[in-house]
Amino acid sequence: MRLRHLLAATAAALLLPVAALAKGPIKIGFPIPLSGPTAVYGVPILKGAELAVADINAHGGVLGRKLKLLPRDSKANPAEAVRLARELIVKNGVQFLAGTLTSAEAPAVSTIAKENHVVFVAPSAKTYELTDPQNFHPYIFRTASNTTIEGQAGAIIVAKWKNVHTVATIAPDYAYGHDAIAAFVAELHKLRPDIKIVDQEWPKLGQANFTPFITAQMAKHPDAVYCDEFAGDFISFVKQAAPLGYFKAIHDRLADGGEAGSIDVTRTLGKAYPLGIWTDAYDPVLWDGPNQPPADKAFDAKVAKALKIKYGSSWAIQGYVTIQAIAQGIRKAGTTNDTKVAKAMSGMTYTTPLGPRTFSAVNHDANAGEYWGKMVRTPKFPYAVISDPTYYNPEPAGH
Amino acid sequence: MSARRIPWTLLIFLALLPLPWIGSRYQTFLGTEIAIDALFAVSLNLLLGTTGLVSFGHVAYFGIGSYVCGILMKTYGLPFVLAFPAAGLGAALFAVVFGFFCVRLTKIYFAMLTLAFSQIVWAVCFKWNAVTGGDQGIADVPFPNMHWMASLPYVGDLNINGRFYLLSLVLVAVCIAAIGQITRSPFGRMLTAIRDNRERAAFIGLNVRAYELSVFVVAGGFAGLSGALYGIFNRGVFPDYVFWPKSAEVMIMTILGGMNYFWGPTVGAFVLVWLNQEITNYTQYWPAVLGSILLILLFALPGGILGGLARGGAALRRLLAGRGDA
Repeated sequence: MRLRHLLAATAAALLLPVAALAKGPIKIGFPIPLSGPTAVYGVPILKGAELAVADINAHGGVLGRKLKLLPRDSKANPAEAVRLARELIVKNGVQFLAGTLTSAEAPAVSTIAKENHVVFVAPSAKTYELTDPQNFHPYIFRTASNTTIEGQAGAIIVAKWKNVHTVATIAPDYAYGHDAIAAFVAELHKLRPDIKIVDQEWPKLGQANFTPFITAQMAKHPDAVYCDEFAGDFISFVKQAAPLGYFKAIHDRLADGGEAGSIDVTRTLGKAYPLGIWTDAYDPVLWDGPNQPPADKAFDAKVAKALKIKYGSSWAIQGYVTIQAIAQGIRKAGTTNDTKVAKAMSGMTYTTPLGPRTFSAVNHDANAGEYWGKMVRTPKFPYAVISDPTYYNPEPAGH
Repeated sequence: MSARRIPWTLLIFLALLPLPWIGSRYQTFLGTEIAIDALFAVSLNLLLGTTGLVSFGHVAYFGIGSYVCGILMKTYGLPFVLAFPAAGLGAALFAVVFGFFCVRLTKIYFAMLTLAFSQIVWAVCFKWNAVTGGDQGIADVPFPNMHWMASLPYVGDLNINGRFYLLSLVLVAVCIAAIGQITRSPFGRMLTAIRDNRERAAFIGLNVRAYELSVFVVAGGFAGLSGALYGIFNRGVFPDYVFWPKSAEVMIMTILGGMNYFWGPTVGAFVLVWLNQEITNYTQYWPAVLGSILLILLFALPGGILGGLARGGAALRRLLAGRGDA
């Protein structure tokens, strides 16, 4: 009997037609890591996207249709992200794709977007390879910053430090780390030809034990470090490096381009946050300085309320603007046809709480820099904050 | 028993052929995945069911095949007609080297050594950034050139995924037919003799190790071919395809379907892929649900699904015969 039921169920499932309704909500597939070390960034990105969908739907949707988000846990794994992206397109019939976190996932999903002619907007992946001439296609867009911008910003900051003659790097061993470090090293050589790179460590993404990398780096006695560890990896790295005297040895002269100034990281590390290092965030949220745009203040309050966490998140903005950009593209095109939407989005300027950003007409990268500054602790805020956050965007899109 | 004379491979092939025309895009997509997984599982069953060798590292050859094919097609721009056989040969070559050591051990030690080798392959794929792309693998592996299909009647109307389904189905059917021939050949009978009684097989003068190594290489080669198709199907090759959970997955397929039946692994591949897809729709706790379903199936049907069907059929016959007497 059990078997017959199973067979009947099998047959029924195979005969079910895939719903492909022309009207109804506009579906956006959203594969993003919701588990593992990168979920620290992935979860708030999704929350930001959900917030944008709720906002847009509350104002009547797009072209009279509601937006519907289909989130999936990509586990920061490119193979899984590809599987989910195809399933979302072929089975769930999504018209648009957004999401992915790492620079391993995004290029893999980009292939699927290209093949299926589906617009794909990446809110977080920074590798320049995603949109370089070899891999660029009309359907790929990026609201994130990129490794060229990040590496150059890092080099400008490190180049200003006095008494630095030797620099070491530590970054995750995949596209993001390699590309950002390459951009950093190239720019640093230009700005300060006297500085020598004495050590380069490449722990893998999701590394559990950083100790061998930390001790190897300390043995080379660098004056300063450029670091690209991010999310849960940055947290593990700091927790293991501080007891070994790593930050003392380099006099806290470490710059990290992996958004370690995000409140999502400072909140998790709490008192263990290494003060004095320089790092960045898309939205500092706890703004230790006078230059926070009023629109961002209002946005951060809204995020905090929606997430039900005090102060909200520095990453929600990336999910939020990604959905807003897609919605604006659909409105501009006047249709949900991906080819027409992609054309409308190319060169399009979209508004964000932190000011307007523009997708390059050449490679569809947004001209998105980040806010950098020294990490300090002030009586005003419970966590470490970026001191006087300053917007760095040395390399406009179109590298 | 006239069942033996039925050309099952041909019948199943013909039954599945019209899928891209009658099924949806999604069903074609699932069909491709099931066909490729079925070949992988049938190749494993050459070791598991036919020879009685438990390999926990079969994924190594699957992964090598997908990397060889992916690298040749993406990095060197070689056509599929060369990259596909190269994937099988490459996997077989590694199987010769690893198998040489593995067949020197038996039972759990054999299983552990196969696992160790597969982990070495994984580590190399994961770390060798310059060649394998490391953690992020090789994205955007091109589809084979299938323009020639455009001139074929009916096939010309299909999109690229439909055509790739047909190509995969043909290649998988040919491979499965070949494995069937091997299983039924005298060579295959010797393997079964080794499975049933290793000592006795050795005693009657069989070079057991040579036979085991040969079947290890053959199984590895076919796993490599399925890996090559899998990499293209997924539009990229990633270290996950060489990681041990995939070994476990293919073993589950084989045992679930029934490792004592030639078609068991294929049935297992179908059920597992289908269950996987269906359950993920309803709950994020799908591994737990899938685990429970597998537990029930394995308890209720100890010989796998085909074993259960065979017993059910026999019971039905007995029942009918009993009624006839009364």
